[in-house]
Amino acid sequence: MKKLNRRNFMTLAGASGAAIAAGVGKPRKALAGTVTFKNGGRDFSPITGKERKAIPTACWGCVTRDSMIGYVEDGRLKKLEGHPESIRTLGKLCAKGQAGINQVYFPDRILYPLQRVGKRGEHKWKRISWDEALDIIASKLKPLRDAGTPEQFMYAYGRHKASQWAVTGDFLAAYGTKTIGNHTSVCEAAKWVGQESLWGGMYDNWDYDKTDFVVNFGSNNFETHTNHIPTSQRLIRAVVDRGVPLYTFDVRLSNTAAKSTEWVPINPGYDGLVMLSMINVIMNEGLFRKDHFKYMRVTPDHHATTAQKIAAVKKQVAKFTPEFAAKKSGVPASKIKEIARGFAKAKSACLVTYRGTVMHYHGADQERAAMLLAAITNNLDTAGGRVMGVGGSWNAPSSKPAKVSKGLHIKDGFPGEAAYPTHHVSQSIIPMIIDGSHGRPSVYWWSCYNPTYINGNNKEAAKAFQDETIFPFLITTTIAYDESSQYADIILPDVTYLERWDWEDMVDASQIGENYIRQPLVKPLGESRCQGDVWPELAKRLGFDLVYSSKKDFVKQTCDMTPGVKEAGGFDYMVKHGVWHDKNAKPNYGFYEAKVDVSGDGVILDKKTGVYWNHKKAGVSAAEAKSKGYLGVSGAKSAYVAQDIEGTPRKAYPPNTKFVKSGLLDFYSDNFVKKGLPAFPTYTPTPEHEAMGKDDIILTTYKVAVHTHSRTTQCKWLSEIKHDNPGWINTKTATERGIKDGDKIKVKSDVGEITTTAYVTEGIVPGIIAISHHFGRKFSGIYGSGKNNPMNAGGSSDPDVKNMTWKTHGVHPNAVIPNSSDPISGTQRWMDTVVKVSKA
Amino acid sequence: MNKIDKPDIGRRDVLKSAGVTVAGAAAMTTPVTRAEAAAKAPRWVMVMDLRKCIGCRACTVACKAENDVSLGRFRTVVQEKTYGTFPKVKKGFLPIMCNHCEGNKKDGVPPCVKECPEYPGKRMTFVTPDGSKIRYRGGATYKRPDGLVLIDSELCIGCGKCIDACPYGVRSFNPFVKAGKKPEKQAADKCDMCKERVANGIDPSCVNTCQGRARIFGDLNDSNSEVAKLVKEHDLAKNVLLPKEGTDPHVFYIDPDNMLAELYKKREKGKLDHYVDLIP
Repeated sequence: MKKLNRRNFMTLAGASGAAIAAGVGKPRKALAGTVTFKNGGRDFSPITGKERKAIPTACWGCVTRDSMIGYVEDGRLKKLEGHPESIRTLGKLCAKGQAGINQVYFPDRILYPLQRVGKRGEHKWKRISWDEALDIIASKLKPLRDAGTPEQFMYAYGRHKASQWAVTGDFLAAYGTKTIGNHTSVCEAAKWVGQESLWGGMYDNWDYDKTDFVVNFGSNNFETHTNHIPTSQRLIRAVVDRGVPLYTFDVRLSNTAAKSTEWVPINPGYDGLVMLSMINVIMNEGLFRKDHFKYMRVTPDHHATTAQKIAAVKKQVAKFTPEFAAKKSGVPASKIKEIARGFAKAKSACLVTYRGTVMHYHGADQERAAMLLAAITNNLDTAGGRVMGVGGSWNAPSSKPAKVSKGLHIKDGFPGEAAYPTHHVSQSIIPMIIDGSHGRPSVYWWSCYNPTYINGNNKEAAKAFQDETIFPFLITTTIAYDESSQYADIILPDVTYLERWDWEDMVDASQIGENYIRQPLVKPLGESRCQGDVWPELAKRLGFDLVYSSKKDFVKQTCDMTPGVKEAGGFDYMVKHGVWHDKNAKPNYGFYEAKVDVSGDGVILDKKTGVYWNHKKAGVSAAEAKSKGYLGVSGAKSAYVAQDIEGTPRKAYPPNTKFVKSGLLDFYSDNFVKKGLPAFPTYTPTPEHEAMGKDDIILTTYKVAVHTHSRTTQCKWLSEIKHDNPGWINTKTATERGIKDGDKIKVKSDVGEITTTAYVTEGIVPGIIAISHHFGRKFSGIYGSGKNNPMNAGGSSDPDVKNMTWKTHGVHPNAVIPNSSDPISGTQRWMDTVVKVSKA
Repeated sequence: MNKIDKPDIGRRDVLKSAGVTVAGAAAMTTPVTRAEAAAKAPRWVMVMDLRKCIGCRACTVACKAENDVSLGRFRTVVQEKTYGTFPKVKKGFLPIMCNHCEGNKKDGVPPCVKECPEYPGKRMTFVTPDGSKIRYRGGATYKRPDGLVLIDSELCIGCGKCIDACPYGVRSFNPFVKAGKKPEKQAADKCDMCKERVANGIDPSCVNTCQGRARIFGDLNDSNSEVAKLVKEHDLAKNVLLPKEGTDPHVFYIDPDNMLAELYKKREKGKLDHYVDLIP
């Protein structure tokens, strides 16, 4: 690992010298020698030269949550920069992070609690006090809890992580509702479900610092990623400084594709097939490595020999020849072979996937193919490969859970919609509430989420929000008046992430966990309040107490009880330094190899699976354990101890999620077989694509470097750079339809039609249209939608408004994308929509 | 908490001096030491490694924040261009900013400075790292002995001649700052290489946030500096924008794939629309 205090210093002999203070004129004696320039850590007013106050904190512009330093001048936040001491971010911050200041000061921010006084959508509001707001909310929530129907209160969130989720989850558990909605299935759930079915957990990190070869399917890592800054900077340095080849398979010439050794254009939906054909090449040419086969299960038999497994993998992928894959994917067979050989022969290689691969029909199975490719080349959790992410861990306090705890069954999709919705099916929640047959919450409260904008078929959702018989009472906590909050009954003004406390834990890029915190840089504007401060007050009104009195208190307790952080100085240390990691920690690789002591009381070996498990922990007698076996005892996976690997008990890949499995990588999956899904990673055609007509093309979506999906358009510095989202269309596809660059075009699907502009380019595969999904905001303040909020929310004015130059605000593609789930994982299939495109 | 990684005081004070010291009234009356022959100022430059620019625009936005740059104009932008025919298509990114030109060989005055009606103005003193003093002339636009081309808005009359004169078109009127000598007009504005940060030994804001480390800042006059080494190693003396203009720019580009010619969108006379950061 790099010595952090030396990082990025530039030696600048000659920068030292003598000083004359202005007006004194007496030179001081010069210092001889070299002076080092620091990359950051301090900032100065460009007007007065005065040093700005530096406060370590953490970003929250996206889920990456970079640790950073905020610089404050006369009580106003002026600048944000990466935290120079962070081993994750190495002092870097992206454009969205840099524009975080706009989140605090955008002129349309909501700063006071508001109560609706007109009809839903009439934009008539009354400013009320926090006491009034909480009294009203308590009057709705208390009767539900007292009547033993806490599940009638639904809470839905977009991005609550680390302590933000911990306090909220704690409150909801103490209240007793399990009707909680998240958003992962519109993000990338198929990726996690695919991984969980194999290595029993999720979140792959890509070990770019050590890798020798990178193959990227459908990740725009240089522009956006759930761990963007830690991974992206390491990747570009690997490519340029170390000459690491980077091949990017994408439908579109993203910045990542553009900066790759080669952009490999691919038709949408065939990433998994190309991976299977790469496996075909590697197996047939004997380029595989045997090392990982002992941890793999590729047939029903848990005890197959490596030779048997090799033969079985060969057989499974035999039909996926490069020529077959080429026909479907558009990638030349010779290119598939070339990349497969390069990948397999490299000392270490990273197999990258993201939304381009998994937001499809059977997306979870495509992720399984990616894992197989990594496993047969021994690039799974080994240095330089696809590794299991490591983040900082915290010990947090928790309140007493409610005696009655219930939830409506509306989180996991309609019956039969998804086989393994381990991250739920959030895009189906509103359709299920509309449907009503699985119950409807009488109070729906959402935060950091814009359900009538970000989900598919969003016009239907907006209509439902206006209907008080479907949604009787709506509460939102938000900083912005938006497509959803316009229909709320109560709007609570949230703080921005730059005004609140949190502890944070996002994954590192170098396999060592980092603990870090967020602290307020400025006093919350107006009457905005952190939810972590609201929950204790609301709890009191509802008749119960929480274990913390404020978010700051929660963060303090956590810092003071977390091993490592505690010894370093706990809360006080974190407030001062912002980041902490164990200086003696070694990068975490090969967790699966750890030898395990199986001599404990109750530990037995299950002959069928080779699993050591503790029957006492599972609550069954030795006799029952023996007769039913590990797979036959419900809950036995929680008592997993080790896997027999060629005679040695090893940790292997424990079943840490809902998948009941042995410690082997289940490339042959009983779980999948049970649900009628492919036992082994395969290619499954997308039904809608098979039925496409002559004029049909496929719509895909994407993100650009300067925006998140739905929370950045109010940021003037970002919307100035990108405020419109024309449809990318290949010259050939455009010409066939008489479309020229800049023409107005119609995009029509089964659920709707939008009009946008054509961006005719060579940088996209023919036969598709790609539309980024950040724009088309109905309400996002002056910078995001071109108009101020239709009511006075108390926002301050910004003298920069008169300098605003842009007049277009894009169109949102979700109006033509149906809510449609991957039948394996419940992931929203953003990349599968069949549309007709014509000149408007 | 506001003292993260604070360099020791001695060095900080010393660095401060490497920047300009506008000698106040007292200093003006103090007898000024003549510049010695050996006096050598640093020469601040930027090297842009085009291989490492991933078009993320963190620099563009960091600059906006650091300098509170108003909407509708920029102090630095990234130009991007897609070229070629499917499937052999490329896209490149070109960060551009003020080139802090040395000026032509004859008089060493950059074109923007030459056109400034307020130049040459008051007499200024620059103290070199070894304590020598270099005298130079200020102005509403002027070049400091360390190579930074700067604007003194107090002296600006808002005439816009420097904006027109810059062949790179990196200057604009600042709607937030009035021209000091003609308050009914706005002052000219552009990149000042974050001079207050540089004076305190901290990288400019765009360099600080550049995740690819495509932007490298330093002293070209120090042969041990990274920038000096890069200029030498990659032979960058001619790898600048519009080398034929004779402006002697001091922003250098590492460009082994010869992308500059393809990527650079030049200024059209009288216009500034090439200097807008806009993602297509």
